[in-house]
Amino acid sequence: MYTCGIDIGSVSTEVVLLESSNGSDAAKIFSYIISPTGANSKIAAEKTLEKACLQSGLGRDRIDAIVATGYGRINVPFADKNITEISCHARGAVSSFAGIKTVIDIGGQDSKVIKLEDGNPIDFLMNDKCAAGTGRFLEVMARALEIDLEHFTDIFLNTEGHVDISSTCTVFAESEIVSLIGQGVDKNKIIRGLIYSIVSKITSMVERIGLEEPVCMTGGVAKNLGVVKALEESLNIKINIPEEPQITGALGAAHLALDL
Amino acid sequence: MGVREKVKSNIQRNLDRKYFKRLLGIIAKKPILYAYGSTFSSISSKYLNIYSIKHIRDTYNGEKPVGFGSLFLPFELFHATGISPFLPEIIAGFTAGLGIADKTLKKASSNWYSQDLCTFHRSASGAVEMDLFPEPSFIICTNLACDAAQKSFYHYAHNYGIEKNYCLLDVPYENNPRSVKYLAGQLKRLAEKITASAGKKIDMESFADTIKLSNEFREWALKINNIRKKLLDYPPDFSGLDFILPFHGLMGTEGAVELYKNVYQELNALLAKQEENTDAGRRQPKRMLWMHLKPYYKNEIFETINDGNCQIVFEEINNIYWPRLDPEKPFESLALKMLSHPLTGKASDRTAALGRMADDYNIDGAILFTHWGCRQSNGSARIIKDYFKKRGIPVLVLDGDCVDKSNSAAGQIKTRLQGYIEILNSI
Repeated sequence: MYTCGIDIGSVSTEVVLLESSNGSDAAKIFSYIISPTGANSKIAAEKTLEKACLQSGLGRDRIDAIVATGYGRINVPFADKNITEISCHARGAVSSFAGIKTVIDIGGQDSKVIKLEDGNPIDFLMNDKCAAGTGRFLEVMARALEIDLEHFTDIFLNTEGHVDISSTCTVFAESEIVSLIGQGVDKNKIIRGLIYSIVSKITSMVERIGLEEPVCMTGGVAKNLGVVKALEESLNIKINIPEEPQITGALGAAHLALDL
Repeated sequence: MGVREKVKSNIQRNLDRKYFKRLLGIIAKKPILYAYGSTFSSISSKYLNIYSIKHIRDTYNGEKPVGFGSLFLPFELFHATGISPFLPEIIAGFTAGLGIADKTLKKASSNWYSQDLCTFHRSASGAVEMDLFPEPSFIICTNLACDAAQKSFYHYAHNYGIEKNYCLLDVPYENNPRSVKYLAGQLKRLAEKITASAGKKIDMESFADTIKLSNEFREWALKINNIRKKLLDYPPDFSGLDFILPFHGLMGTEGAVELYKNVYQELNALLAKQEENTDAGRRQPKRMLWMHLKPYYKNEIFETINDGNCQIVFEEINNIYWPRLDPEKPFESLALKMLSHPLTGKASDRTAALGRMADDYNIDGAILFTHWGCRQSNGSARIIKDYFKKRGIPVLVLDGDCVDKSNSAAGQIKTRLQGYIEILNSI
């Protein structure tokens, strides 16, 4: 059977098609696709699914069940069920690493920490009131620094020292780094400071909920190894990163669709 | 547009104390009031609205002196001394429901009220600045639980030029005989001050009658709470969180007794029906305890809870925490009532009370609504979460705002609620 998970986030929409002949444990990713959400989440869901079907050659009529998740989950009329990103990220992380006890998800516009017991979420914390501690924060800063976000990892790993970014608010932090650039501060040290700023917020969330290993990090920001390394240092742990962390929510949704 | 929407729309267009007085004078006339009450689908909501409107009308019609009172006061003292209690914090909740809180909050903001002051107080302060409330003769508050009340109520007294009639009841931290004596003395002096202003002396008979009515109310409330230990099929518009005005402001009146008697009869009939139609295959909802208050503007919280096969079976605010009052010793009894409040003293007193509720109502989960700026409740969030965790009951700490809808993102609240419900249903 084939199931589909659609995660409609504020920045990107991910679709995962899952193939399974014998339940969730034997399920394999058949195909996945990531595309920008844009202004209309309903259209984004429709088009991303279309692309995934086209890419994989799987007819839409062969999909047995669809679960939608993410902030746009209620705008997917063709989904059989919508499930929150909390359950979907937890399920997706468990499908990548069995026995995971904590999931740290840093998405485009929110960040969350989920605590699991026997593979099921038992508690969570979300920061979705402000862009601080999210992917959007890094995007805005990359634009202000005129440095491609992709280079942040190398810069973090190959630079020593950092400057503290004292502003929590994204808008004020942007002004702060513009001012630091004006003062001639090394941009690489600013980038390290920005990463530590995000890590400080996530560390506090993890500590609030109670850290338990093993830990998995999901969401687009998990691709930034600078953030991952800084978080590992801050929490003094090893973090597991799925092969494609950005699709974890959609992957979990596709797994949960197997239960429908 | 229905009657209720018309009333709301008229209020929104006529933000004026005299207009409110006129409107309440019309609506509170018996046939109109009962017709208005009948627009609610349940008997409980019908009588809740009838008695609430009558009470608010009485504060606007100028027949009796009005006393502003903060939430945790024993309002029996107001009724026994012949002043009509007006509860600005509760009415601030109504400003949210009536869709005028944006204006009262804006007014408060432009008058230097801090943005991190609780919006119950901020909206009430804005309404005072806009002269929307009836003119008070007394401003009475307490330091029980809420710190903001003492400060903002003093400001109201200043606004109305009645600082000399601002009275603060100082509730000690510990509940012991010395505290009872100290607080009873304050209550007696307050009663003397109020009656003296009308050229009278304290009428102990009036106190005894009020206390008897308060006890009668307490009995009906206990009966209702007993039914709620089993009841799952509530009327569609019933919310235990809506009864905050009668539970506080009307206690010690015949109206409160009549209202609670009606609520009891309706819920009792529903329980009988529920027990008759026992369906073995019925999926039992998850039983939830609601802590603190709720948003009073239109929201999807309770719909989301019900859609997730969960049921709020009890609310912290409906807990009967005080012993039966002694009509012969009104001041000592009311002092003991205040000192018995779980929000007086240590946070562990609150968790102990919540623990008893968890047992009595057999709860599976609990939601603590952390209203923006409410230190007295939010300060205990961690302790409450840890306390219930030890008992295997997951708690959702739901950040939001009871009055200011712009300070509460509906989508984010829904995601948190649904995530929590998914966890609860997977246990």
